[in-house]
Amino acid sequence: MKSGSNLEKVLKSGQPAVTAELGPPMSADPHEVIKKANILKGFCDAANITDCQTAVVRISSIAAAAIALREGLEPVMQMTCRDRNRIAMQADLLGASALGLKNCLCLAGDHQSFSAAGRLKGHPGAKNVYDVDTCQLVGILKKMRDESKQEGGDPLEVAPKFFIGASWTPMGDPIDIRPMNLLKKVNAGADFIQTQGIYDIELFRSQMEKIRKMGLHEKTAILGGVIVPKSAMMLKYMDSSVAGVSVPKALIERMNKAKEAAGDDKKKARELQEAEGIKLAVELVQQVLETPGVRGVHIQAIEWESAIEGIVKAAGLYPRPTFPTE
Amino acid sequence: MSGESAEEKKGTHFQRVAALKETRPYSPCRAACPVNTDVQAYVGFIAQGRYTDAFEVIRSVNPIASVCSMICHHPCEQSCRRCSVDEPLAVRPLKRFALEKSSEYRRNKRRLVEKTKGKSIGVIGSGPAGLTAVNDLADLGYKVTIYERHPVLGGMLAAAIPPYRLPREALKEDIDDVVAKGVEVKTNCEIGRDISLKEIIANHDAVLLAVGLSSSRSLNIPGVEGPGVLLAIPFLEDVAFDRKPDLGKKVLVIGGGNVAMDVARSARRLGVANVEMVCLESAEEMPAWKWEVDEAVEEGITISHRWGPKAVRREGDKVKGLEVVKVTQVFDTNGRFSPTFDNNQTKLLEADTIIITIGQMANVGFLKDSAVQVDDRGRVAWDPKTQMSSAKGVFVSGEVVTGPGSAIAAAASGHKSAMAIHLYLQGEQIEDHLPSYEKEKIPQMPPDVIEKINREPRMPIKHLPPETRCNSFASFEFSYDEETALKEAGRCRGCGGGAVVDKNKCMACLTCQRVCPYGAPVVTSYSEIRPEFCQACGLCAPECPGQAISMVSYDVREVRDTMKEIVGPLDASRSEPLVVAFLCSHHLGVLGYRLPENVRTVPVHCTSRVDVNDILKAVECGADGVAVVQCAGGSCKYKGIGQRVAARVERARQLVAMLGMGAGRVELLTADSSDGKSYATVCNDFSGRIMELGLRKR
Amino acid sequence: MIIGSQKPIDEIWGMVKDFHKVLVFGCNTCVAICHAGGEKEAETIATLLRMRASQEGKEMTVDFSSVMRHCEPEYFVPVMDDLKKYDLILSTACGVGVNFLSDRTGTIPVYPGINTSFYGAVESPGDFVELCAGCGNCILHLTGGICPIARCSKTLMNGPCGGTNKGKCEVSKDIDCAWYLIVERMKKLGTLEKLAEIQPARNWSTSRDGGPRRVSLEHIRAYEEQEEKKTESEGGKK
Repeated sequence: MKSGSNLEKVLKSGQPAVTAELGPPMSADPHEVIKKANILKGFCDAANITDCQTAVVRISSIAAAAIALREGLEPVMQMTCRDRNRIAMQADLLGASALGLKNCLCLAGDHQSFSAAGRLKGHPGAKNVYDVDTCQLVGILKKMRDESKQEGGDPLEVAPKFFIGASWTPMGDPIDIRPMNLLKKVNAGADFIQTQGIYDIELFRSQMEKIRKMGLHEKTAILGGVIVPKSAMMLKYMDSSVAGVSVPKALIERMNKAKEAAGDDKKKARELQEAEGIKLAVELVQQVLETPGVRGVHIQAIEWESAIEGIVKAAGLYPRPTFPTE
Repeated sequence: MSGESAEEKKGTHFQRVAALKETRPYSPCRAACPVNTDVQAYVGFIAQGRYTDAFEVIRSVNPIASVCSMICHHPCEQSCRRCSVDEPLAVRPLKRFALEKSSEYRRNKRRLVEKTKGKSIGVIGSGPAGLTAVNDLADLGYKVTIYERHPVLGGMLAAAIPPYRLPREALKEDIDDVVAKGVEVKTNCEIGRDISLKEIIANHDAVLLAVGLSSSRSLNIPGVEGPGVLLAIPFLEDVAFDRKPDLGKKVLVIGGGNVAMDVARSARRLGVANVEMVCLESAEEMPAWKWEVDEAVEEGITISHRWGPKAVRREGDKVKGLEVVKVTQVFDTNGRFSPTFDNNQTKLLEADTIIITIGQMANVGFLKDSAVQVDDRGRVAWDPKTQMSSAKGVFVSGEVVTGPGSAIAAAASGHKSAMAIHLYLQGEQIEDHLPSYEKEKIPQMPPDVIEKINREPRMPIKHLPPETRCNSFASFEFSYDEETALKEAGRCRGCGGGAVVDKNKCMACLTCQRVCPYGAPVVTSYSEIRPEFCQACGLCAPECPGQAISMVSYDVREVRDTMKEIVGPLDASRSEPLVVAFLCSHHLGVLGYRLPENVRTVPVHCTSRVDVNDILKAVECGADGVAVVQCAGGSCKYKGIGQRVAARVERARQLVAMLGMGAGRVELLTADSSDGKSYATVCNDFSGRIMELGLRKR
Repeated sequence: MIIGSQKPIDEIWGMVKDFHKVLVFGCNTCVAICHAGGEKEAETIATLLRMRASQEGKEMTVDFSSVMRHCEPEYFVPVMDDLKKYDLILSTACGVGVNFLSDRTGTIPVYPGINTSFYGAVESPGDFVELCAGCGNCILHLTGGICPIARCSKTLMNGPCGGTNKGKCEVSKDIDCAWYLIVERMKKLGTLEKLAEIQPARNWSTSRDGGPRRVSLEHIRAYEEQEEKKTESEGGKK
């Protein structure tokens, strides 16, 4: 075992892995994290703890991950390249490991100008760091873990043992570079991959075919991303504005129909769309898992953690496997 | 340091760029003029309504300006680059217009010139050459005496050119200019009759012979002697001095040159209805200017081409007519004058009077036995390099040595002689130090530039109808009215008046190359603006980020530097907004300037010349509002101007807005260029909008 | 070349308002080409400042002038006496010029009249684009001639990130994704395979992160220093 994390164990066992996502609050109050951890606990093998997602200040990924761990939910600590240089990053990784964290997902991070897609003020004037990029960060983690060395070459007395993840946008443009992009992350040392949300299953499958030909699915565990849709509007927005996400018209139509079935009743329209969204998510989870080379799913129910239970159950992925503690 | 208190500039812009112009090819009009009159410059001034400035340009090189404004054969027009677009500029009529407009100014300017040199010069003859030399020598501070055999000054201009072509008032303006400098004038003073050459030489430190070609050539044919056969010059002298000769009912003029035209047309004006001309040449071969021929024909004069005089037939004393013989060839294959005749073809042209007009020659009998040598063919020995005759201190000028030519060519000769005399009297070398009027000129416009120029027909010159004009010797040509003159002057493409790059400031940024509608600039290590392409629109200068571009024809900083005076004193109690309006002076712009009291106008040759900093300067100097008024539609004289100017105005608006004054204080307006009043209308409307914004606090 | 851009007049006014004799000093090279700080813009700023002074009721002389460059002493030394007639020089050169001149004007302050934006090209008239960050360690041969340091919002060396959207950067629809361009370019060049190589974490010390930089050419400096010493010792004798 590289890290001994639950996620690693699940994947090693050959069963499809399920990860979810927990977004920390813009608050110093830990209860939001505790609440969300308890909602997710038991329905996923690990939950990603986002790192100031959309470039908005929230409880740090490490701290929130530590809280989740305390609550019995295995966290995947996310680490972006945006805010820290390699010194801060390595220091944080040592600290995270010391706190018992075992999974780390490396990301470039949303640009500081993102500011929750303009809904919040954020800090667009912040200085970005990008001392190293995702690929390089993966390499640093691997070097620390496997060679007990810092990036600069200095030794580590005790190495942090992380199950190393990286994000991947399989269908981002330019689309033909994406397999190579994954190859680099795998070569750098990514043990698992979580992908950007998949709606266009056909396109995803054609990309996976290339990945299989390259044999990458055997060198890393690919977890297909599923973003639970809440409304027709959200699908349209993701189709038009979220990088690397395209939503087939048929799916948007299905959501539209659900919305229209409610007539003028807005509350009912929301309920019907949410129900349809969960149905859709379940189908997507199944389709993703049926895709050869995929080892699990990463289900993102953004600010809607309560949806996970139903989806996981409906997809026949419940209960989650457990392993005796060493 | 260039700044708010820009250093005092010396002289006018025209004077300041004179040296620069010498380093560049001349405009073709200027190069073609025998005295290199800067036609482009003065036409440009006319277009801007600056008539006295135009006068200064003209008069600075041409002491017989008014004469030329009436009779010049205008080689400038023939060489005008507009010929390849549509028709040449009507330069001569524009010159006439400018001179007439500035006659008051001109008269008030006449001053005595102090005699500083302590030397005296005698000038024999006061035609174009003599008068020009007198003018230059007087300006240099010499004491000058003119000896003229006629009762008035002017030589042939006064004694031979018929007044319908050259009104004597025009000639008088030129003569008065010269005489006012303090010149001693001896008229009715013929050398050899009233005074001897010896005496003149003894009385002066130098003498100039400018006696012209005052004798007519005659024909050696049977019957030529006797009454009823006249020579051109004596006849024209009779006309000039109002001694009306009796010509009978039919006049036959022998000759096909310009003097023959003068003779024939004068005869018409003496009441002879039937005037015929006979010449060796065909219509195409005739040496007379085509317009002279056309006008003569209009006046009912008939021309028999390709007949040569054989004998004068008489009944007793009285002339019956001229027997003529058919001409088979005028010029040989080498183009030399060598007429041949078919003696089998003859006919009789009936006439009561025959006037022989086949050329002039010098009358230099008075030089016999003098120190001035004359060869056996009657030509004065003369060295063109020094302008001097064989006698030391005796110079020769004009047609007596150069042969027949134009008045302005004689004037050029006068300039050279004056300089020669000056150098001689100062003990300096003459050779190689005389002015040369042979200058390199700007090449023809490239075809793609020609395509970009609007076709604008030349403004016609109005004449009295032939039936009226033949009743008198009064001038039959009308001067342009102001509106027409401005339109005509606006046709000038400003050749040679265009953009010049200061290499020390140019950073080769390509801006000029990008903005020029005519592809004139070529940027390598710095920008070079090719004069054959440049239309002098001025678009590039205000765009240049290094302010490296200046213009030959105007001072790009003048508007800014004089804005304080343009705006005038600021009246805190004013009730109307003070508006500065930049107006296109093309079209009717100058006339359209009669704008409301509160509008200060800044005439610009094209709004392309308005700089953002000009606009800002107007605001700085206190304007409540600044308008740049463009001409509507496709009437702009240049291509690609509108959007660029609009962008500048927008930039100025943003800058003014930055100061919290409101962008609305600066506007781009459009006026109908064919209607001068529309400038007033749009400026008035703008004033109204400024009033709403409020007057600026002082 | 160096691209500059205007400062708001309010900001400039804040700098100059307590001075009485101000020279707006233009630089006729890079910043003139981008219409930010050449003689023309210097005159504009001077005019605006005079107007502002008049609005505020301040007595102030504001002149303008320019030289070819502010970053080499030979250009401005000849006008130094003129410069010293002012109590403030507002330089519209880039920051290099402002620094450089400021070190050489004694007690007269030199303030910045424009913002120095970046090193760029003139993509089309009036459109200037950043193409180089001056990082001191050029890797353009690895990236199809397109610089990820200058042109990727995240300076990624192993891009693209997941933020590429229809060829544009996640930061703005108006910004091209540098990595999109790199991929397309390298496809065309037939060198796409090169991108499979992982670019290691960079040594940023050649960039600004290594402190202010200097390039000294030994072969030229050796001679110059000798000359300088000679001048010094001669000066000492006197």
